Amino acid sequence: MSGPYRAVHWNRQKKVYDRWVVGGLLIAIGTFIAVTGALRPEFTAETLIIRSTSIAAVVLLHIVLAIGPLARLDRRFMPFLYNRRHLGVTIFLLGLTHASMATFQFHAFGDVNPLVSIFTAYSRDYAALGDLARISNFPFEPFGVLALSILFVMAATSHDFWLRNLGASFWKLIHIFVYVAYGSVLIHVAYGVLQSERGLAGPVLLGAGFVTLFTLHFAAERKEARIDAVIAPLVEEGYAKVCAVSLLRDGEGRPLRAGKERVAVFLSGARVYALSNACRHQGGPIGEGKILDGCITCPWHGWQYEPENGKSPPPFEEVIGTYPVRVVDGDVYVLPRFNELGSSCPGAGVEGGTR
Amino acid sequence: MNDEFYIGYLPSAPPGLARRAKRVVLTLIFLGASSVVWLAASQAARPAGTFEFGTVRTFEGVLIERPIPMLRVSPPEGLEGEASPLVLVGFGKGGLPEFARGHHGAQVRFRGTLVIQGANAMIELNDPESFEVITPAAAGDPTGEILSLNVTVTGELVDTKCYFGVMRPATGKVHRACAVRCLSGGVPPGLLVRDDIGGSAVFLLAGTDGAPLDYDVEWAALAVTARGALELHGELPVLRVRSLELAH
Ligand code: FES
Repeated sequence: MSGPYRAVHWNRQKKVYDRWVVGGLLIAIGTFIAVTGALRPEFTAETLIIRSTSIAAVVLLHIVLAIGPLARLDRRFMPFLYNRRHLGVTIFLLGLTHASMATFQFHAFGDVNPLVSIFTAYSRDYAALGDLARISNFPFEPFGVLALSILFVMAATSHDFWLRNLGASFWKLIHIFVYVAYGSVLIHVAYGVLQSERGLAGPVLLGAGFVTLFTLHFAAERKEARIDAVIAPLVEEGYAKVCAVSLLRDGEGRPLRAGKERVAVFLSGARVYALSNACRHQGGPIGEGKILDGCITCPWHGWQYEPENGKSPPPFEEVIGTYPVRVVDGDVYVLPRFNELGSSCPGAGVEGGTR
Repeated sequence: MNDEFYIGYLPSAPPGLARRAKRVVLTLIFLGASSVVWLAASQAARPAGTFEFGTVRTFEGVLIERPIPMLRVSPPEGLEGEASPLVLVGFGKGGLPEFARGHHGAQVRFRGTLVIQGANAMIELNDPESFEVITPAAAGDPTGEILSLNVTVTGELVDTKCYFGVMRPATGKVHRACAVRCLSGGVPPGLLVRDDIGGSAVFLLAGTDGAPLDYDVEWAALAVTARGALELHGELPVLRVRSLELAH
């Protein structure tokens, strides 16, 4: 499977998204520099760069990790999901700035190659892993390198070109590694700056971030498990997903496909109905019609049917078939087998459930 | 129920969703900025120091290599006694550079950059061309004023170049690798001792009898205990170390 490379097309929404990201970052970095500059004038500019970029990266990493479960819990967070990869690339660039500055400052102009020094400066303390009394001496630098490497691979493969060419499942696997990056960042921070700065702010904020992310992932997981528990038997019975409720307009129909059947799906008030798409008059596309005076009205010659039972209002006697319909987690499911002709079918509430 | 649907590839988001997204973003920016303020304010204060990076001055005095590379300068006109010597280091993470070695006791002149923190002063010799010997070696081993023959001090092992002002902060785990590099490059080691009320002092660590101090540079940024004789060179406290070990 392969696809051609296409330059990313930046539409207005992407630009708005990026403006907010850049604006937020400038505020965060500017605030850090201003407060530190005022309270700790002795700190060097290098320290300000190293610390402000890393703090911004860690805050943004938490946001990125929260977007997924938030969007699964509430579709209104979808706008944040759509351009999430921009945040990932931004985190990598912040991390790269942090790492470059730290490497230059702490490892350059010494008696060992700076890139080697990162791993070997106090290499005897790798053995601290097995020694509880010294374990806090374990080097923190390699965890930063690991996190940055993962972020690099993710940033470099974030374009849809790679999604197409690597295949969705491989691409997803790479991106699961963001959790490894998150873990490495936690260790990098806990074994690094938290041992130098003993204030409460660092541990409290990191802890709060961890608890929040854990809770969101747990809640999203549980919600999906509940939905799966409803959908799986539906699918087994032969229900087919036809569209999201949010694609329907109140009082209007949509001609959709459920399995091999053409079905007309209507939203009326807070209920969804599925009926045959073929009008009894001349086979007109019912799904392209509207609801007038409480009746589904065919767009061709205006024949009408009641949504609950497919019957034309008296004195007419035409009837079209209705389908069993369900709404689960904002999606409409239709069983492509007619109810008994003319029988009453209440449709499905848009809030979902298992009616 | 919200009936707006987000489609990322369209030019605009539906107005309700856009408004809500804006509220979320503003909340996030507020939370992020508050966290940043708290983090910034919780950073511990460090001793101020100055590294006159980019500025070179000319220095003249007696070059001392042992026990610690230093330059003894004459006190300014009209002042009695001895001015504090300036510790000598090289460019980057290096100790006394090769071109300045082998002139113990000689009157020399060179250009370099100052690092100052209170009474502690240091010169970075970064201009080999400027180095000249005015009067060849004369003095024997200089000894400072001996304060005590037997002291035991526990503190953090630091590299004096960063600590005197090149890097701020220059202590602790985040700076450990840098301190190792500096010590390994020959920057004189120091023992940073803090008291309970926020005060601190740095003792320069030297070997006994002019021999270089034999120690493990990977102990940088860790707590160590030094035993030896304490002497004052001007205002610089130098500890002639008989034994150095990790503190427990
Ligand atoms: S085909 Fe439906 S009204 Fe004529």
